Formats: sequence, structure tokens, C-alpha cells
Amino acid sequence: MSDTTLRASSPLRRFVPRRLHNWELSAGLFVVGLLVTVAVLAPYLAPYPPNQINILAALQSPSWHHWMGTDFVGRDVFSRVLYGLRIDMLVVAVITYLGLIIGVVIGTVAGYIGGWVDAVVGRIADTVIAFPFIVLVLAVVAIVGPGLKGVAIGIIIAGWALYSRVARSEMLALREQPFMMATKALGYSHLRAIFRHALPNLVRTSLVYSTVDVVVNMLVLAGMSYLGLGQQAPGADLGSIVASGQGYLLSAWWITTIPGVVLMLFGIGVSLIGDGITRGDLVQATP
Amino acid sequence: MTEPLLRIEDLRIGFTHRGGTTNVVRGVSLEVGPGESVGLVGESGSGKSLSCRSIIRLMPARAEIRARRVEFEGRDVLALTDAQLRAHRSHNVGMIFQDPFGCFDPTKRVGEQVAETLRVNAGMDRAAAHSRTLELLDGVNIDRPEQRYRSYPHELSGGMRQRVMIAMAISANPKLLIADEPTTALDVTTQAQILDLIQELRRQSGMAVLLVSHDFGVIAQACDRVVVMYGGYVVEAGPVGEVCARPQHPYTRALLESIPNLESAGHRVRREGIPGQPPNPAELTTGCPFVDRCRLVQPECANVDMSLIAVAEQHVTACPFVNEHRSAVTLKGSS
Amino acid sequence: MSDQPLLQVRGLSKRFALRRSVSEWVHHQSGDEHLAVHNVSFELARGEILGLAGGSGSGKTTLARMIIRLIEPDAGEIILEGQNVRAAGGKELREMRRRMQMVFQDPFSSLNPRLSVGSAILEAGRVHHQPGSDDGDAFVARLLGLVRLSPTLASRHPRELSGGQRQRVAIARALAVGPEILIADEAVSALDVSIQTQLLNLILDLRDELGLAVLFVAHQLSVIAEVADRVAVMHLGEIVEIGPVAEVFHSPKAEYTRSLLAAHPRPFALADAPEEVNIRETH
Repeated sequence: MSDTTLRASSPLRRFVPRRLHNWELSAGLFVVGLLVTVAVLAPYLAPYPPNQINILAALQSPSWHHWMGTDFVGRDVFSRVLYGLRIDMLVVAVITYLGLIIGVVIGTVAGYIGGWVDAVVGRIADTVIAFPFIVLVLAVVAIVGPGLKGVAIGIIIAGWALYSRVARSEMLALREQPFMMATKALGYSHLRAIFRHALPNLVRTSLVYSTVDVVVNMLVLAGMSYLGLGQQAPGADLGSIVASGQGYLLSAWWITTIPGVVLMLFGIGVSLIGDGITRGDLVQATP
Repeated sequence: MTEPLLRIEDLRIGFTHRGGTTNVVRGVSLEVGPGESVGLVGESGSGKSLSCRSIIRLMPARAEIRARRVEFEGRDVLALTDAQLRAHRSHNVGMIFQDPFGCFDPTKRVGEQVAETLRVNAGMDRAAAHSRTLELLDGVNIDRPEQRYRSYPHELSGGMRQRVMIAMAISANPKLLIADEPTTALDVTTQAQILDLIQELRRQSGMAVLLVSHDFGVIAQACDRVVVMYGGYVVEAGPVGEVCARPQHPYTRALLESIPNLESAGHRVRREGIPGQPPNPAELTTGCPFVDRCRLVQPECANVDMSLIAVAEQHVTACPFVNEHRSAVTLKGSS
Repeated sequence: MSDQPLLQVRGLSKRFALRRSVSEWVHHQSGDEHLAVHNVSFELARGEILGLAGGSGSGKTTLARMIIRLIEPDAGEIILEGQNVRAAGGKELREMRRRMQMVFQDPFSSLNPRLSVGSAILEAGRVHHQPGSDDGDAFVARLLGLVRLSPTLASRHPRELSGGQRQRVAIARALAVGPEILIADEAVSALDVSIQTQLLNLILDLRDELGLAVLFVAHQLSVIAEVADRVAVMHLGEIVEIGPVAEVFHSPKAEYTRSLLAAHPRPFALADAPEEVNIRETH
């Protein structure tokens, strides 16, 4: 009797090299890594100072001298994109993870304590979440004034609440786990139980969510800059570069389009990372 | 000699992953005759659950099955088409699991879920399915079936849920019921009732039963034959009374000796566990998987091919040193 | 040795309120109540192993958790060596909890997955300023030795260990604070049979070596028979019978005890009181 071989998994599997099985994570890390490296090394990579005006070279299409062309006052778009990326990434990283930390801590503590504290925090968070994100950011910018600071504060105020909710519901589940009960049985202080035992186990979901959040925040920041409320001239970030090229959309398309493509690449890369992390979590061999 | 209902020969199941393949079931052979009750006993990592699932091909994502034979009533299970497999899973084989909660949709009433099985598998209309469901619920000794029909899964006790799961599994009158640790999550009184129920159903319909458990006591009570698994292999098989009285494999022997017993109450004699722990399938190589924990280990054990040797009528073991063991070991009760 | 028992529990009760219907709420009536534990009393002597048996819903886990006030009792007293546990607060309660440590059923979730074995054990010792806890490595090695685990396991994480190993680590963590009572809440129920027996022997050893008293909660009577000196049988929140384990199992007085014993899978030929098996030395 000959062997019967049955593959329960996809028949194409054997043609894909093992290395690439979590291609999302690899691809995402590659793209984002490339962009981050380029942004960090901007001062070394930029061929021209980003704000250097050269009217004679204005509105040149991409060429060997200016890889991404020049804008309406002759500034090298490539250099501006590099520096813009740098600012954007830095600001977005800071505000996303500041929002995460604030939200996760508040949510975890509220979930741990329970009772009216949890109820009050929950209602505040719900209200914040109910507000349309951009409207809230705009409101803060209106109070603080246009500029990166205003946008940053606005995004943090609008953003912490979702992390708080996620952390709180995870905390409610975690509280019932024996190892959390053990912290009580072992006589550990509440502070120790929350920060040393609960938090490290709650952070993962929020971190995965933050990959989405980073993309969203990046777009909001770019959008605010596009509207003139974010990065102020002469400094430039991707959003304001896009805005500056609007008037020349048909003639000098590169000014608006290329920064837009870079933003898109960033978003795709981060999403792939998020997918890859989630995929990694789900793969398990059961005995 | 009647044809066996189920015949598995040299079953191997492995999981592919980045580093290669991990073989969890390494060459398992067993048979179940019509109307027979066979127990499959083993600890973690023995491969007993996976082996059973291969009978209805309910495998996790990365599993690969290879076998010389997995035949039900003479037909190759591994070659069935999807449609044939569905019919096989409803009319030939029913399966119940350890976790009675996990099998139910928490948002639907339990009666509905049983009736749905009937409508899909037996093509019954609503009214017929409803009344048949009530019959089935009654048949598994659920009192007030009309009321229980309308209950949600979380409103029922563990024992009750298990009964409903049994009702679903036998609804199409399968010839074989596979019960994978059906009583592990239940307390002792409920366990006894469920085992009695299964016996009763067997008597009524002539259904065969493949009962998987880590609890030898359950198997000794409910099965005619027992198959002992360890590390992905069958290490011993035979009539349950025979295997319990004269275990021929060092693992079976050690396992029987390590089982806590009511009779020990008040005696201050320590019972020996088996030192070490059940093997990690990823770390096993050739030879007998019990070498690290066996009291009677010898250098040749690393080369044993785990094929089964007959020692008595219907009684087989994978340990080739069994004759030496016989003379060397004085068993209680033997001359 | 004083003959005052180490732990006394008197008249302990707990009721769980089930949800009220709207009309019950409006009329200020209490809804259905579930009497989880009702008027339970027993004593635990130093170095004694008391089994707590019963099926699901018998209240044994609720009772065990009330003793260390993981769940607050509604009524009754808990006296630890003359001191009132229910009246204690803050530091006093922490100290009492230190003396009565618990080991939980599920080996997979009773350890913090992010902490290495050594960190978890050492933290417990340090929080309670246990002697020797300033020398981290030695402290952890000693405790791992007590539960018969190799000190090399100190750097591993729970996910790298088997169920039996995790339970031993949970016991080591409990021992790290120097308790006098160990409450094992179905601590071996989730383990393979051969490993269960190893753990039971470990508990017996720890009782002999450290003089630990143990409250051993289990639903399987055979497991209790192997390890306990006395047993209390619970049914629907009450203790229906309590006494030396041989007496209760061989001549049960309560009807529930009798039905539990009858439902137990019958022991089979080989597994009677174990006798020595003579083995020729292998060459």
C-alpha cells in the first residue's frame, strides 16, 4: 500500500521559501526602516539646505541636480522632503507614545481600582472619544495657537482616551488571572501590582494599536500643516510642502505629489508592521 | 473475524514551521471494531487527541497527515472529497470534546443548535428537527427538554452542556463516537453519569466508542480495550483488564503505579510518580521516547523501532525487552 | 508545642447576590442570592494536611479564598494563631497573608509571563525582607532546590516550562515569603497523572521538612487520599463530614460522601496499596 500524503495546508506553500512566511513584517520593517534612516541622516544626505532660495532654479522638474525638482522659489524639494520627514517622524513618535503612556497608565489604574474612579475616568474617556478627532485637535490649536506645539498637544489630548479604554478593559480581564490574585496573596503593594505586574502585560495590545495610531497621527499632522496650522514657514514638513505646491499642481506636479507618495509609503510600511505583529501572535502549533 | 470499523495504520502527523517539521504522532496504529469501546490513554504530548482528529480530518492549520491507512468501513478517510467528508463527519463519526462551552454559539439557544445540525445533516424540516431534538435531549437524560431547548449555553451546567454535545454528536446515528476527554472538566458525580450515558447509548444503538482520556480509571471503567500512547507512539494495547493486571510496557506499569488511589487513605506509603516530565515532541529523536524516565532503560533502547510485539492474545507492547522484564520483575498477583 | 490550632475558622459564610430584576430593584427587594459558603467551621493544626473535597459548586474554592481574604467573608471568624484575620488591615493583613500562601490551579496563568522564574521568586522574598534575600542567586537557588528544580531554571520564563515545573515555581514563590500554611487550590488538578504524584510527594516532603500545614483543596478524592491526614467534605456550601481520611473514606457517615465515593471510578487490580516491585539491576 503506497503512502498517502495529505497536506492540510495550502498546496503552494512548498514553493515559498520559509524565510518569507511573515513577509508583512519584513517588508514593513524594511520600508519604515529605510524612511527612518533617511530621516535621521537628513543633515548628511540632503544635498542642499532645505530653505535655500534660488529663484533662477525655480520650478525645475526632477533632474540629476535636483532629484525631486525644485519649488517655486528654487528650494530643492528632495532636501525639504528629507528634513520634513525628519520633523514629522519625530513629532509623531513623541505625541503618539506620550499619548499611549498617559492613556495606558490612566486606564490601567482606573481598571485596577474599579468603582467610582473607574466610572468617572470611563465617562471622561468616552466623551473624548465621542468628539471627532480633528475637531478636537482644531479646538486645541485654536486655543494654543497655530504651530507644531498646538497640534502636538491637540493630538495627545484627543488620542489618550482610546488607549485608556483599551488598557482598562484588558485590566478588567487581567484582574481575574491567578497571577494578579497572587500579587494580593503575596502581599504586594498596589503600586507594585499595577506597574510591575499588570502594565507590562497590557502594553502589547496598545503597542500594536499604536502602529495604526502613528499613521493616523502622521496624516493629521500633515493635514494640519497643509491647512497652515501645523509647521509654520519657513520650516517645512511634508504637509506644508504639499500645501505649497498646490498652486502648481499641473505644471510642477512634483512639489505636491512626491511628498504625498512618501507619506503614503510610510503609512503602508507601518500598517504592514502592524499586520506582521498580529500575524506573529496568531501562529501557534498546537500539539 | 468481522471487519474493523476503523483502521489506522502507521499514522504520522507533523507540524511544519520555520525550523523544519515537528512530528507529534510518529507511527500510530489502532483498530476499532463495530460496537467496541476502545480507550486511548496518554499524557501531554502523547499525540492522542491529534490521532483522533485525523479520523475526521479536523486538523489545525499547519498539520500534515501521512499514513499507510486511515480507513473507515474500508474507505480511505484521507482521500474523501469535501462533500464526502461532511457526510462522514455527520453520519459515520460523531465527536465530543473536553470543553463543552467552546463548542456552542453563546448567542443561540442550545435547542436551536441541535436542531440546526439535524436540518443541515439530515435534511429535516423545522418541525421534524424540533421534535427530533426534543427526543434526543430526552435520550441523553436531560429533564424537561422543552424548557432546556430554550436555554442558552451559559445557563446550563457543565454536565448538561456535555449532554447536549453528546445529543448533537449522535443525532445522525453515527457508527463511531469519539469522545476526547469528555469528563475531564466535570466533577466525579457528573463524570459517572456521563460515562453511564455513553454506555447506555452504546447498548441502544450498537455504536462504537473511542474514548480518549488521561485518566486510566475512566478508561478501565468504560472501555473494553485500551491503547496506551506515549511520545507519539502506541506503547501498549490490549483488553483493559489484561493490560491493567499485567502491564507489559514500563510506561504503562509506571503510569498504573502512579495513579492516586482511594485505598491509600491512611496509609503512609509514598506512591512513586514517574520522574521527569512527558517529552517535548520537538526534542525527540530516534528510539523509544520513554528512555529518559524508564526505570529499566538499557543502551539498546535508543535503537528500538517501536513496532508492536504480541505478548498474549490481543495484547501487544512496543518494548522488546519485555521477556527480560517478565523474568526480572515480580508483579503483584502473578506467580 | 502549644495545642492551640494554627488556624481556626468559625461560622464562615458568603453569599453572592445575583442580579435583581427591575421590579425587585424598584421595590427595594434583594434578588436571588447564591449561598456559596454557609456557616463553615474547621481547624488546621501545625504540620497537618487537611483535604477539602467536594464537587463543583461546593464552595471549596470560595472558602479557600476567603481565608486569605481574596474574597471578603460576609460572616464568621478566621483566627490565625489567636489573631483575628478579618479585623486586620494594612500591614497587619499583609503579615498574616505572608503566613498563609496560596497556590492556584492553573499553572499557565498563575505566574507572571513576563518575569523570569528567578525574578518572581526573588521579588517575593525581597518584598517581605526574608532572610537571605539580599543574595539573589543563592536565595533563588535554595528555593528552587526546595521544590526539586535545578537552579539553572532561574533565568527561564514560564512559557519555557512544563505545567509541573510551573507549579513547582509557584510553590517556590509561595515558600519564598516563609509561610506556615500553604493553601493548594486544586493545585495539581491540571497536571498529568504522573506529574500529579510527583507534586503530591513534594507537598508531603515540604510538610516533613518545613513543618508546613497544608489546606489541600481538590475535587478528586483519590488525590486527597494520597496526601491528606484529615478531610472535610463540602456540599452546597457546607461541610457535611470531617475526620481522619481513612475513617471518612472507609466508613463515610454523610450520604453525600457516600455518593461521591460510589461515583469514583473503581480502582483496578494493580493499583492497590503499592508494594515494592523487585527489579533486577540492568546491565
